[in-house]
Amino acid sequence: MDTLFKLVSLQASEQQQQSASYNSRSTTSSGSRSSSHQTNASYNYYYHSTSSGGGGQYYYGQQHQHQHQQYYLEPYQQEECGNAHHLYMDEDFSSSSSSRQHFHSHGAAVQPPTSSAATPTGPTPPLSTSSTAAGAAHALFEAADLSFPPDLNLDFSSPASSSGGGAASSAAVGGGGGGRWASQLLLECARAVAARDSQRVQQLMWMLNELASPYGDVEQKLASYFLQGLFARLTASGPRTLSTLAAASDRNTSFDSTRRTALRFQELSPWSSFGHVAANGAILESFLEAAAAASEPQRFHILDLSNTFCTQWPTLLEALATRSANDTPHLSITTVVSAAPSAPTAAVQRVMREIGQRMEKFARLMGVPFSFRTVHHAGDLAELDLDALDLRDGGATTALAVNCVNSLRGVVPGGARRRDAFAASLRRLDPRVVTVVEEEADLVAFDPDESEESGDTEAAFLKVFGEGLRFFSAYMDSLEESFPKTSNERVALERGAGRAIVDLVSCPASESMERRETAVSWARRMRSAGFSPVAFSEDVADDVRSLLRRYREGWSMRDAGLDDSAAGAGVFLAWKEQPLVWASAWRP
Amino acid sequence: MLQGVLSRAPATDAAAAAAMKAKRAAASPGEEEEGDGRSARGKRQQLLALGPATALASAAAAEEGPETRGLRLLSLLLRCAEAVAMDQLTEARELLPEIAELASPFGSSPERVAAYFGDALCARVLSSYLGAYSPLALRPLAAAQSRRVAVAFQAYNALSPLVKFSHFTANQAILQALDGEDCLHVIDLDIMQGLQWPGLFHILASRPRKPRSLRITGLGASLDVLEATGRRLADFAASLGLPFEFHPIEGKIGHVADVAALFGSRQHQQQREDETTVVHWMHHCLYDVTGSDVSTVRLLRSLRPKLITIVEQDLGHSGDFLGRFVEALHYYSALFDALGDGAGAAEAERHAVERQLLGAEIRNIVAVGGPKRTGEVRVERWGDELRRAGFRPVSLHGSPATQARLLLGMYPWKGYTLVEEDACLKLGWKDLSLLTASAWEPADDAAASAPTTTTS
Repeated sequence: MDTLFKLVSLQASEQQQQSASYNSRSTTSSGSRSSSHQTNASYNYYYHSTSSGGGGQYYYGQQHQHQHQQYYLEPYQQEECGNAHHLYMDEDFSSSSSSRQHFHSHGAAVQPPTSSAATPTGPTPPLSTSSTAAGAAHALFEAADLSFPPDLNLDFSSPASSSGGGAASSAAVGGGGGGRWASQLLLECARAVAARDSQRVQQLMWMLNELASPYGDVEQKLASYFLQGLFARLTASGPRTLSTLAAASDRNTSFDSTRRTALRFQELSPWSSFGHVAANGAILESFLEAAAAASEPQRFHILDLSNTFCTQWPTLLEALATRSANDTPHLSITTVVSAAPSAPTAAVQRVMREIGQRMEKFARLMGVPFSFRTVHHAGDLAELDLDALDLRDGGATTALAVNCVNSLRGVVPGGARRRDAFAASLRRLDPRVVTVVEEEADLVAFDPDESEESGDTEAAFLKVFGEGLRFFSAYMDSLEESFPKTSNERVALERGAGRAIVDLVSCPASESMERRETAVSWARRMRSAGFSPVAFSEDVADDVRSLLRRYREGWSMRDAGLDDSAAGAGVFLAWKEQPLVWASAWRP
Repeated sequence: MLQGVLSRAPATDAAAAAAMKAKRAAASPGEEEEGDGRSARGKRQQLLALGPATALASAAAAEEGPETRGLRLLSLLLRCAEAVAMDQLTEARELLPEIAELASPFGSSPERVAAYFGDALCARVLSSYLGAYSPLALRPLAAAQSRRVAVAFQAYNALSPLVKFSHFTANQAILQALDGEDCLHVIDLDIMQGLQWPGLFHILASRPRKPRSLRITGLGASLDVLEATGRRLADFAASLGLPFEFHPIEGKIGHVADVAALFGSRQHQQQREDETTVVHWMHHCLYDVTGSDVSTVRLLRSLRPKLITIVEQDLGHSGDFLGRFVEALHYYSALFDALGDGAGAAEAERHAVERQLLGAEIRNIVAVGGPKRTGEVRVERWGDELRRAGFRPVSLHGSPATQARLLLGMYPWKGYTLVEEDACLKLGWKDLSLLTASAWEPADDAAASAPTTTTS
């Protein structure tokens, strides 16, 4: 298992043998390189200088309408040979190459540049003065501290991750509680980004970078993934960062790894199975109701619009086999796997092929007459031609269910009320039931009824950043407490969240498939499309409750009907009192 | 088992010594920090010309075995490091997600070490954009970090003989230097939890003549942690019937104003005349210990302790980025490998050690040359520096070497090697030297009766 070690040994010794030759080679051509440095030295790509009018719009805020391709490629082409990697306008630095000073200077200029700080930024003060320099008891100390934003009071005590339930932990999830330094710093940083205070952005990003780790505690992970998003935003490279992340994930995803992660997630957290149990309950009851009302044998068809790898269906097949008295009715499942047009799909196709075979095998085992179809769809769901799916394979008597688990957010929110239009197109299918499961977060930054403007204003950015931080804090917190400390599956789930975070923080809303909405919004859309809510039966509620008992403390089910804000539909899954997943059922 | 280790030692030691010499040479080319990118390109091509790594770049990763994955990771890490060395940060950023996907902090040793190097490269790239490399120094953070590091260090002590090796050899050297004196003052430049000293207390208490006074001055970043350490040591000393005093100093040795500040009260200044003063320091790259290397040397010179014991990592902090990166990758691959060999079921502890200690060190090295992160010209080898400052080496060949061999023999680990080189002791893993322990005394000390090279 020590491949890397051996290989490095081998190469290190080789390097030593040949080091003389590369030294001589390198000196011959250094002249041309240094000249290429100079040509691009003053380039910066945080935002355009004030001369472009409007006082510094975001790069893509200005250009993405017409120069879609260019706006993120351009900085990279420029950067290939340049060394001006600053996020900031040049006036923040004495020269464009000031970052190099940190390498060459001897002791000085170590701290990030601070023009406003009245206190001197020298080397670490001598021991004798350190007590006076510190000031207040919990203030920041030492030399580097002099460059910190003085208004921050951070608590680095370990987050109370092991203690379950209670008011204290719910406060902690909400952010601002003890030890939640990452949320605090990240929000400050986002505000500084929106205010274009580049010096403060630099200070805060430096602090976050020093503190962040994708393999640390929840705070360190949040810092790591949101910092990645902020970094992409500031370099106007969101879409490119996202596609690199997605491609890397795709190349390293197999059926086995996908299945392992999904199963482990189901085993340790009710996050996904909560929606499955609730939706299956509603679908099964509506099917059996249809069968009881009909005079002839029924055929059932489920249009599954969820990218959940069919982990939901085995329990439904099992229930169907046991609940139907004599002849088990025929069940068809059409599962639509949708992805952004640019997203790589090789891994998904691999995985779905395998899943289809397994589903058919399982149906045979259960004695359910079964047919299974996968439809791969590039682009968002609003562009899917529902009529072409041929869902009435058994004629008019087929009872149709539409299952939307985390899929409605895949309809890109747009000015043309695309989400409302999609709900209306579901209504036209005339289904017996539509199940909607969504994660509870308010990530659409504008009201489509009032504005057709892009959601990429600074106010929108701040809103989405704050709400995304709240939501993913709770998600990461639940993962941290549910999984063992050393779990590769948890890392994979966190990385998935990291991609969503990059999307939310640094990509245009008009291309985002991560824009979750609240139950209130979804319920309003469903109602206006002509659906009315179906209450979950006591049986289904019992199923959900018994499901939650299988998991660790901290999870609970909440009836949205008791809560006006949810417009009286569906139920919530809550982690430490915070509703995070919403499940609902609708009929025309 | 002890016999086996002893009889096996000479052959492996010779090989290890040769390997170490080779490594020194490899690390030495005196390039300017972050030097010209073209040399990096050339270097990388040589690095990769050897292995089949490049050819495998596009293979379907999920189906391949751990060996191939290790090769791909190595190739990606080197490509990424080369991009950083050439200041092509966009290219470096493009490679990071692939490294993160292939690596894992909970996988095989190569996957683990790659996870932390990938993380360090990621942080380094952002640092380069920001133009800010200095480490964070926040008071509330210092206490929280000290505690986390403390927990991890205890796990490290249990999982690997490296920490014990440091403690045993230094303690033996101190006992030798004490040589009949019965007032001891130890100045520990980075005391942490003081894990080292109970062992010394134990030996002192078991000697026929117990010491008349025993004092430890401990330096550290957090007074709370220091005081807790002092209380633990006092309790332990009391249980052995030893006199004990603890003097905490919150801060770094390089910032101590003068020698008098190291001795605290006037009473202690007088006491100083009778005491044998010993300075101890175990090096690491978790954070900067000295504050200022130059002031530290100056202070040590005017302090003139009877003995200075030092345990250093055999790992360079300076030099050009790519050379430093490759050397560190080599070094930590060995460390992770060694740790995996002994960890067994202690998965959570192993993770704590790797993340809190080794991962943090890797970040510091990949950032800008070591824990100071200034790029400052610093003392690379403390032995050489002490020699210049008027100290001479005290041989560790006698009882310290014996103790170290006994220690290695007591544990089931088979890959560790012990080499006696000059007056020093070197602990290695499969022919790569990891730690060097050495001891120093004032060169003109007429009272130093012990010959400088005795071999037992």
